[in-house]
Amino acid sequence: MTMNKRLSILLLTAPSMIVLLGVFLLPMLLMLLLSFQNDEQAFSVENYLLFAKDPYYAEIMWRTIRVSLWTVLCSLVLGFPVAMFMAQATGKMRGIVTMLILAPHLISVVIRNFGWVVVLGEKGWINEVLLALGLIKEPLRLLYNELGVVIGLTDSFIAYMVLAIATSLYAIDPSLSKAASILGASRVRTFFTVTLPLSLPGLVAGTTLVFSLSMSAFVTPALMGGTSVKVMPVIAYEQIMATLNWPLGAALAFLLLGSTILLVTLYTRLIETKRYKEVFSS
Amino acid sequence: MSKVIDVELRSLMKKFQNNIVVQDFNLQVEQGEFVSFLGPSGCGKTTTLNMIAGFLDPDGGDLLIKGQRMNGVPPYKRELGMVFQTYSLFPHMTVAENIAYGLKLRKISKSQIQERVGRVLDLVKLPHVADRYPKQLSGGQRQRIAIARALVIEPSLLLLDEPLSNLDAKLREELRDELKRLHQEIGVTTIFVTHDQEEALSLSDRIVVMNHGFIEQIGTPKDIYNRPASEFVHTFIGKTNRLEGEVAGHEGDSLIIQTIGGLLVEAKSANLMLLPGQKATVFIRPEKIRLSADTAPEGRNRANGQLKLSSFLGSYTECEVQANGHSISVKLQTVDKGVELVPGKAVSCSWDAEDVLVMPAERG
Amino acid sequence: MTKLKPLGLITFFVLILVNLPFLVIIPSSFTAAGYLSFPPEGFSWQWYTMILERPEFIESFWFSIKLAAITAVLATLIGTLAAMALHRYKFRGKGIINGLLLSPLTVPSLIIGIAALLFFTRIGIAGTFTGLLLAHILISIPYVVRLVLTGLSTFDYTLEKAGYMLGARPLRVFWDITLPLLRPAIVSGMIFSFLTSFDNVTVSLFLVAPDTTTLPLAIFTYMQETLDPLVASISSVVILLSLLFIVILEKVYGLERLFGLNSQSH
Repeated sequence: MTMNKRLSILLLTAPSMIVLLGVFLLPMLLMLLLSFQNDEQAFSVENYLLFAKDPYYAEIMWRTIRVSLWTVLCSLVLGFPVAMFMAQATGKMRGIVTMLILAPHLISVVIRNFGWVVVLGEKGWINEVLLALGLIKEPLRLLYNELGVVIGLTDSFIAYMVLAIATSLYAIDPSLSKAASILGASRVRTFFTVTLPLSLPGLVAGTTLVFSLSMSAFVTPALMGGTSVKVMPVIAYEQIMATLNWPLGAALAFLLLGSTILLVTLYTRLIETKRYKEVFSS
Repeated sequence: MSKVIDVELRSLMKKFQNNIVVQDFNLQVEQGEFVSFLGPSGCGKTTTLNMIAGFLDPDGGDLLIKGQRMNGVPPYKRELGMVFQTYSLFPHMTVAENIAYGLKLRKISKSQIQERVGRVLDLVKLPHVADRYPKQLSGGQRQRIAIARALVIEPSLLLLDEPLSNLDAKLREELRDELKRLHQEIGVTTIFVTHDQEEALSLSDRIVVMNHGFIEQIGTPKDIYNRPASEFVHTFIGKTNRLEGEVAGHEGDSLIIQTIGGLLVEAKSANLMLLPGQKATVFIRPEKIRLSADTAPEGRNRANGQLKLSSFLGSYTECEVQANGHSISVKLQTVDKGVELVPGKAVSCSWDAEDVLVMPAERG
Repeated sequence: MTKLKPLGLITFFVLILVNLPFLVIIPSSFTAAGYLSFPPEGFSWQWYTMILERPEFIESFWFSIKLAAITAVLATLIGTLAAMALHRYKFRGKGIINGLLLSPLTVPSLIIGIAALLFFTRIGIAGTFTGLLLAHILISIPYVVRLVLTGLSTFDYTLEKAGYMLGARPLRVFWDITLPLLRPAIVSGMIFSFLTSFDNVTVSLFLVAPDTTTLPLAIFTYMQETLDPLVASISSVVILLSLLFIVILEKVYGLERLFGLNSQSH
């Protein structure tokens, strides 16, 4: 029986473990080793130190973080009301909103970005309309700058924010806001003292997720930021595919991953106080 | 008259890691008998059933079905019927397909399957639901279909794993009667696992009361109720009053016990092996106690006290009487009009010596 | 109820926003002009017939379909097996295996792509179909595992027991009972894998051979040089195809459930 069980487990998990090992774990290990290699193929932390020495890279890192933070903010401000709407809506309405917010996610980011390029470009829909209405004299620069990247990223990731927040809003007992209003709290007060605090887990999950995804996004900055908005993923790509400096490219990618993890950890530590843990521990 | 033994368990034992969950289980089930395994959760009753079904292999002892040793035989070769607590109807098959499933596996012809499915649906009185899916049935209907599915293959033994637990009170009673009727009609040997003493009492020919993996008692429902082998059996099977005291002496075939509160209790046909001075526990069922307003002097099997609480529960009324430092609960038929049940009133409790059960205090 | 109104307005606005790309692309693809403009000028199918004159797009389209289809089948098979082991058995290292199976989700695609390129170059499968396929399977497995695990979480094992009691052998029980009840989860896993592969750019970017490229990557490359209605017409075709899958997915499984898993994974 136990022999049988062991054999079953082995046979069932072996294919996936082989793929994981050969396509993920070993490659990651090799990449890590390679990132510690200098020009003479000897061990060195040079690639990582470049960061501290060269303000060019620091500037790119800061830009990456800045763009990601703006994306988080935009997704949060636009996404929270949508999540609230979904939480208050009836089943059918909720289904429609869910469908409309999620379906775009299953279509390639390249295509979505292309749509935005058509909308935001100098001869794009927005500029043409505003010019025709006489509201502006010259086309606005909405693309190939950080604004364009933030718009593209927000479009890409807002669904994650909405879903994370909606999930924790669904979990709030609707009678709680009734209880608050019976006790005399206004709608606004109820929101800030009951709904918002109780949706914190979803809010933390959503913001963390959108931040991490934005930090490592490559396609959108490349298509909507152009050459002027270089972010970490873009220069890592350039080092790997254009300059062919693989050790440096690997190091840049790990620096990006490391700083993302660091920032997210700091952020969650800050929010998840003792009280937060007591309230939300399951 | 020779009896046919359908199931025999010989010193059956099961352990999980180092925990022994069933020990020294000996039982013979006769053909056509309805036997219940009764006990609290974790007592080993479900484990034993799973060993009979073949989902677990015993770690010791033998399991015989129709005289054949079944240890190590997989469930699909045992030809048994089983009904589960969660109904376990296949949700992607209609009622008819569910019932036909076991027959199809036995390569029975289509026309025969159709006929037998129809017959068994009639048997459970649900001939009109054949084409519905389980989801479209009520809980009670689902469990009837599950029973039909188990019976249609004409199993040598029917195993019922708490089949009534997921139903609400009224349905549970209804289906209990239904089970009784079905058993009387087809007489299939049945093993029924439950933690509900009422179900066990009302359905069984014999009850196996289990606790901590051991059999506490095997007996008819009346035996179990009136002559419990242990304090556990007595308390598990219904509400009771428990008075501690010590043996004061013997009087003919009666035993006299003095309780801690000073009551004198006479017990007939009790365990006469108890010696004077030995600690003993006295049990009296609430429904065996009478209540009166007279204040005759206290005597044997009589306690004067004060009514503390009374709860009207329809067909009966539950009272709590404080007497000699004992809290005695009394269950009165509501038709009794002898006493006005006002809290604080002085009342007198009395009972018959035949209804008193005595156990040595050392047993726990 | 009055509270619904401002919320409803913002929601409407956001829904327009996230669907705006498609609302723009499809009309643009029918323009009669030689460039992208607003409003689109005239109506013509010319940009659709133009696709046929661009063999690289046709080829990359079929290449993507082939890649996504094989990825879907293999990732679903591999992922389903693993999920079954995880759900059915208790064993040492189960937590680690579970974590490992989901880990490709938590590491950015960019890093997965780079790591695969470096490693595949070492073992000589960089730029091959096998390498690309393996990487696509890797990024699809976590979704399949999650979907099938969720499907299993509501699966009642006593149904299998009931099957055994009725006389069905293990393989028979698997075929008659387990598999049909897991079908929605497995089918969704397959469609989701297909779309994951079909949409992917960041991993493919590092692994395609110069002459065989995937469709999104071909569009990506083309877009960096030229912006014309050709991209719109190709995109429209992809959008329609994706919509078809999305509708099936919604019918079989429900998008909300699908993404519920997706967001929890991070």
